[in-house]
Parts: sequence; structure tokens; C-alpha cells
Amino acid sequence: MRKRRARVSVALSVALLAGANAHAQPRTPGLKPAPNSAEAGFWDVMDKAEREARRKAELNADPALNAYVRDVICKVAAQHCGDVRLYVMDRPFFNASMAPNGYSEIWSGTLLRCEDEAELAFVLGHEVSHFVENHSIEAHQADKNRRNAAMVLVVGVAVVGAVATAGTTDYQSAQSIGDATRGLVDAIYLASIASYFRFSRQQETEADMLGVRRSADAGYRPGASVTVWRDLMAETATSDFERVRKQDTRLGIFDSHPLEPERAARLEAEAAKLTAAAKPVENRHRAAIRPFLGAWLKDDLRRRDFGETLYIIDRLSRSNEDLGVLNFYRGEAYRQRGKDGDLKRAADAYREAATQPDAPAAAWRELGEALRRTEDRAGARVALEAYLARAPQAEDGWMVRETLNSLSKGD
Amino acid sequence: MRALRPFLAAGVLLGLAACQSIPAVPAGPMTLGAAEVTLGREWSNVSALLPGANKKVTVLSIDGPLLNRLYVTDGLAVGDSLVKKAAKEKPTPKLRAGMNSSERMEFVADSIAAMGYQRVETTKPRPARFGGEMAVRFDLSARTEDGLEVRGAALAAETGGKSYFVIYMAPGEHYFEASLPEVEAVMASAKPRA
Repeated sequence: MRKRRARVSVALSVALLAGANAHAQPRTPGLKPAPNSAEAGFWDVMDKAEREARRKAELNADPALNAYVRDVICKVAAQHCGDVRLYVMDRPFFNASMAPNGYSEIWSGTLLRCEDEAELAFVLGHEVSHFVENHSIEAHQADKNRRNAAMVLVVGVAVVGAVATAGTTDYQSAQSIGDATRGLVDAIYLASIASYFRFSRQQETEADMLGVRRSADAGYRPGASVTVWRDLMAETATSDFERVRKQDTRLGIFDSHPLEPERAARLEAEAAKLTAAAKPVENRHRAAIRPFLGAWLKDDLRRRDFGETLYIIDRLSRSNEDLGVLNFYRGEAYRQRGKDGDLKRAADAYREAATQPDAPAAAWRELGEALRRTEDRAGARVALEAYLARAPQAEDGWMVRETLNSLSKGD
Repeated sequence: MRALRPFLAAGVLLGLAACQSIPAVPAGPMTLGAAEVTLGREWSNVSALLPGANKKVTVLSIDGPLLNRLYVTDGLAVGDSLVKKAAKEKPTPKLRAGMNSSERMEFVADSIAAMGYQRVETTKPRPARFGGEMAVRFDLSARTEDGLEVRGAALAAETGGKSYFVIYMAPGEHYFEASLPEVEAVMASAKPRA
């Protein structure tokens, strides 16, 4: 009964506090906040964060890559293009963000996972929608209103509790009323926090819907909004870690984002209403990220979730491009994972890489090492000599020559 | 030098906060399990300030762990790591069976990345000795999250089925070069205990 009463209290409080959520008007292009306004305060904070971002070690300042992502965000931002500044950060996770002052980040993990330009356009369209709809300001105003409403409720409950306690004649009744009052106050605070996250999820859903419309308006295929989430879900399912695999199966009241299956389903329905552009935008994505494939896959391997890295490599291999680099890193994933059978899988991947024109010289070195470990001395020697021929100035040449010597001696 | 001020301040604060648990390590031989190095000057054992480090790893410093740190390990076995993982789904590099010198270099670089350093790279591998055993000496480069350039030097060896490491990291500006001669001498002195 007490549990039921607590649940009713939380539900009632959530309903009351949800009414405190606020909705701001979409911003006009070129908007600058009024001095001393709440938004000006946000801008100050985010201007400082932006200055710090420019100094970060992860900042990728490559002109061609930045020109590409800048062009995509301008397409989806349309008349707000001049308000946004996008920074590429070399971080191996799927993430993008945009602050109220127009400072925006896209992480290399997102660029690596987007199959084409349309998927990137949806992700950036989502962030631009947060910006244009003033979601940060809305969230701030809603939080302020919610805190005020919670305070009023708490004072009301405290007063009622005090009056009721004063009317009792025995200690036990007074204690029960005190316990009930404290329980209600806790429920109000819990509901206040839950309401904050519920509002955040609503904003994410709104940004999804507006993001797919923005990217479709810019000429990108609307279905990209669905495939990007479906592939992320498929990647998560391949994780080495149970907790990661299960992260999309249950929504908690303190989750800031909706579950990915829900997002994909909503976006699929929305995308079906939108018509693809008569002349789709040319897909420049792979060409733009190609120079960074190796470095970003190396970063991803450092997460040590080899199941997910192998999924990403499989996904990137679908287009039959860059198979030298991709197979080399497939071999690296197997070599570093080191499960039963991985040595052979690694050797097969390095061997496949070595047949491709874009294979790094290290593919022959690693193939040679894998073959040495499987007692294929002749194959190891051929591969290691091929490495030295392809990389005669390699800093680790002496180590490879030592291995060749030991193979000759039969060590 | 201005860029180093926050690190100097943080180093001083860290030192003051835990001054009781930072023992001095005098010049002379220092043993760590089955490994031994000879220090040319007094260092401080700052291992207590870096709770993520493995118990088989001792971390020494002269000016504070953000300004210079020297990792000296006991023999690490298969499955051991330099850095403890923060969560099950955030594993740190572990030693694997049958690793070669190149993979030990990779283990060091990935472990340093797991400590929070960015853009960690190894360069210039060259032959070295760990007592009477063959070892590899190499250089490191990295950046802190805030963009400060960090340089490093490392020695990796394997004997008796165990891996041994001496790793030095310091900001490229002033601190790396300032202690490098001492570190080179420490690395040259590293050997398995008789």
C-alpha cells in the first residue's frame, strides 16, 4: 500500500512538474542574445568551451575534411549556416553536439560509422535542429520552472504535514505523519529529476523529426536517418560486453535519450512521409574520410571492443573500397583479441589485405609474424622479405631482420 | 612556460594533498620484485597518486607526476596490465602470450593512451639490453587532452616468461630534456635481479 501511495505521489508530481516544461520560439538567423539574458550567460560559457576545443589534442584541423563537413552542415542548416562553427574531434565514439552559440562538434567515431553523406547530413541536421529550436534555452527555462514548482509542492506538503502532526495526540501517529511527509518530499524531488530527463527525451525526438526533414529538404535520402540507427543497433549487438549489448533493451527514467529502436521506428514512419529529392546530393563521404581510415580504426581498436570494431570494418567493406586498409585492421583486431582461431583469422585478413593496392606495408610484416607463429616458416620468410622490400627505410627493419635470422637458424 | 603553469599548480597541489604517502626513494639501487634499477639521484615514489596503476608498477617522479613520471615494473605476466580498467566494458591493454618486441611497444603505447593521453605514437625502436637479455628501447610522443606536447622514452624486455618495462613521460617543453640523462642512465642500469 505504501509502495502504491508512493507511485501515485511520483506520478502526480511528474504530471504537475511536466506542466512546468517550457517551449521557446525557433531562433532567427544571425541571432545574438540580449546582454544580461540567460542565453547570454550560456553563450559566455560555451564561447569559453569553444576556445578550449580549439586547443584540444583531438582536434582534427585537416582543411579538406573540415571543408567537407562544413559543406554538409551548411546544406542542412540552410539560412543558419553563418551561425554555426563545426569542429572535427578525433574521438572514436558516435557523438555530435551543438551549443546555443553555434559551437558544434562531430566526432571521428561518427564519421567512421556513417555509411554515406546522407547519414552524416541526418546527424548534423539533428544537431542543427537542437540549435534552431533553442533546446538548451528551453531546457534551462523548463528546469527553472520545474524547480520552482517542486519548491511550491514541497512547502505545501511540509505545511500540511506540520499541521497534521500538531493535531495528533500520540508519538506514534506523529512519527507516521513525519515519515509520510518525508516520503512525499523525496517523491517530489525524484519526480523533478525524472521530469528533466523526460523533457530531454522529448527534445531528442523532436530533433530527430526535424533533422530528417532538414536533411531531406537539402536533397539527402530520408531513409538515411533509419539506417544510421539500425546499423548502430547492429554494431551494439556485436559488442564484446554484455552490458553494452543490453543497453538498448530498457529505458530508465534517468535516460536523456530515447531507446535507439524507438528512434529508428519513429524515423522510419517520418521518412516514409518525405519524398526523396529528384536530384540526390552526390555522395562524397568515403572520399572525404579515406585519408583517416587507418588512424581512426587504430583509435577504435584502443577501445578494445573488438566485436564492435570488426562490425565497423565489415560495414565499411560493403562498398568494396579500401580493402587493403580495412583487411589490415581486420587482421589487427583478430591479432589483438587473441581468441582461439584468431591467429589464423588474422593471417587470412593480412593475406587478403596484401592482395590490395592500398595495403599498408605493415600488412606483410604482420602476415609474416602470424605465419611464423603458425610454424609456416617459408611463408613467414617470404612475407617479411616483402615487408622489407616495400619499406626499406622502416625504423623497425632491424627487428624484422632479426626475425628472419632466427627463422634461418631454425629458432 | 605559461602553458605549463596549470600543471605546475596541479603538481604542487597533488603533492601537498598526499605528502604523507609519497616516500622519497634515495639514489642507488632500487629493487622491484625481480627487477632492479639504479637511480642516480633521489626520486619520489608517487604511485599512491596514481591509483589506476598496477601494484607491480612503481611510479617515480622528480617534480610531480604531471611534470615527469618514470614507470618501473616488476616482471609482468600474461594477463597483467599497466593500468587498471575503470569498468568491465572499458578494458585496458593486457599482456598476451608470445608477444614480440613490436607488440610490447604497442602494449606501452596503448597503455599510455588508456591513461588519458592522446595521439600516442612510438618511434625509433633500437636494440638495448636488460642485464644480459635483449631489449628494445624506443621513443614516445603524445599530447595531453588539453593539447600539451608530451615526450617519452621506454625500455621493454622479456625474460623468463615475464615482461619488464621502464617508461618515462614528461612535457616536451623543458621537463623531458631536463631529466633525460638521468632516465637514460636508469634504463641502462635496468636488469633482472640476480
